[in-house]
Amino acid sequence: MDDVQEMRSPRTLHGGLEARHSSPSYTLGKRRTDHNLLIPEADLKGLGAELHYTQRGGDITFHGPHQAILYPIISLRSIGIGARNYVETLERSMLEFASVYGVKARAGHKGETGVWVGDRKIGAIGVRISSGITSHGLAFNIDPDLKYFEHIVPCGIADKEVTSLRRETDDMLLPSEEVIHEQLVSCLAKAFSYDDVVWKEDPSFILDNQEEYKD
Amino acid sequence: MLKVVFYGTKKKKRKAKPPNPFLVKSIIILISRSVSALPLSLPDCCCCVSAFSLCFEISTKKMAARFLWASRVASHLRISIAQRGFASVVLKDLKYAESHEWVKIDGNKATFGITDHAQDHLGDVVYVELPDLGRSVSQGESFGAVESVKATSDINSPVSGKVVEVNEVLSESPGLVNTSPYEDGWIIKVELSDAEEAKKLMDSDKYSKFCEEEDAKH
Repeated sequence: MDDVQEMRSPRTLHGGLEARHSSPSYTLGKRRTDHNLLIPEADLKGLGAELHYTQRGGDITFHGPHQAILYPIISLRSIGIGARNYVETLERSMLEFASVYGVKARAGHKGETGVWVGDRKIGAIGVRISSGITSHGLAFNIDPDLKYFEHIVPCGIADKEVTSLRRETDDMLLPSEEVIHEQLVSCLAKAFSYDDVVWKEDPSFILDNQEEYKD
Repeated sequence: MLKVVFYGTKKKKRKAKPPNPFLVKSIIILISRSVSALPLSLPDCCCCVSAFSLCFEISTKKMAARFLWASRVASHLRISIAQRGFASVVLKDLKYAESHEWVKIDGNKATFGITDHAQDHLGDVVYVELPDLGRSVSQGESFGAVESVKATSDINSPVSGKVVEVNEVLSESPGLVNTSPYEDGWIIKVELSDAEEAKKLMDSDKYSKFCEEEDAKH
């Protein structure tokens, strides 16, 4: 029985998740707020970065090495929740994950969706929901090069810094990124009440969501 | 790229942390009293912790508008509608799609928008993507999107037709979708291409039940 058939089985609820690794890139959401890119697009090459347009919600952000970029693929209709509840669950997962390292994070205030440590943003969210199925997701800063964020108004919120797990944990020795990814995925699974998590390194997958980086 | 698959048994209803029922009841009564002098009496079960959302019909548009104001205030005070048993508004004379759009049919023209249940589950709408005039829309397919809380959600067309008018006001005031989903927050008007399609949609009773069942899943 292939994965697609299994996903449609009424007995078990499935969700999927892609953990991505990104070379330095700036991404824009559906509203195309490119006024929040503070340098000319032509200069991006010099930084070794690319610009991508997506259909997700949210403003401009940066993705790069040493970030946990997780894209849950969940049928919201089958679990009876909407966008707001979904995004709040993503925030909660990141909060719980941060607390594992003793980082006191908080969910964003109204209009500032994401995960913050004081006034410094550590986790960003940008999601697309089509026919009730989610794509895109979250990016949690483990230890990215924060200088890249200086070239944008991150998430369209001026005067607020961006931070990372490395910065907020001072001298603490962080485990490997694989371990960190596993922990964050477990926090997500727990937040969505999934009993069981299966890890696959297989490049082919039940729902191929490559389209979100194309425009 | 690492891929992960989540498996689970049918989701158990999470035990909701019971809110202080006295506090919930007093806030709801305070909201309804401040909203209008109308004797808008709420059933007692609104105050109970319940995983089901109650839907009840409101026959006059005036009461609907005031009730929507109350639900907006309630959500601002972080009283979530689904969890606390607060009702979402369903209007009698409209038809509804499973993807939570409403449609009002008038001869061969139809007006659509998203329902109160949908706007509540979305959160504050900050952007509405409207289709171009003259574009064809098909039943069940996406014709636009709304953005709220960093999520873009597709809006699907409840019937097929050609777009003859779009609500331009939403470009400046996308929040109308939350505050007035059935009136000022209408999204597009189309010329129907197949009047029979409306028969596939739900009436208000069926839609109310559908919302209850969907909310019961978590």
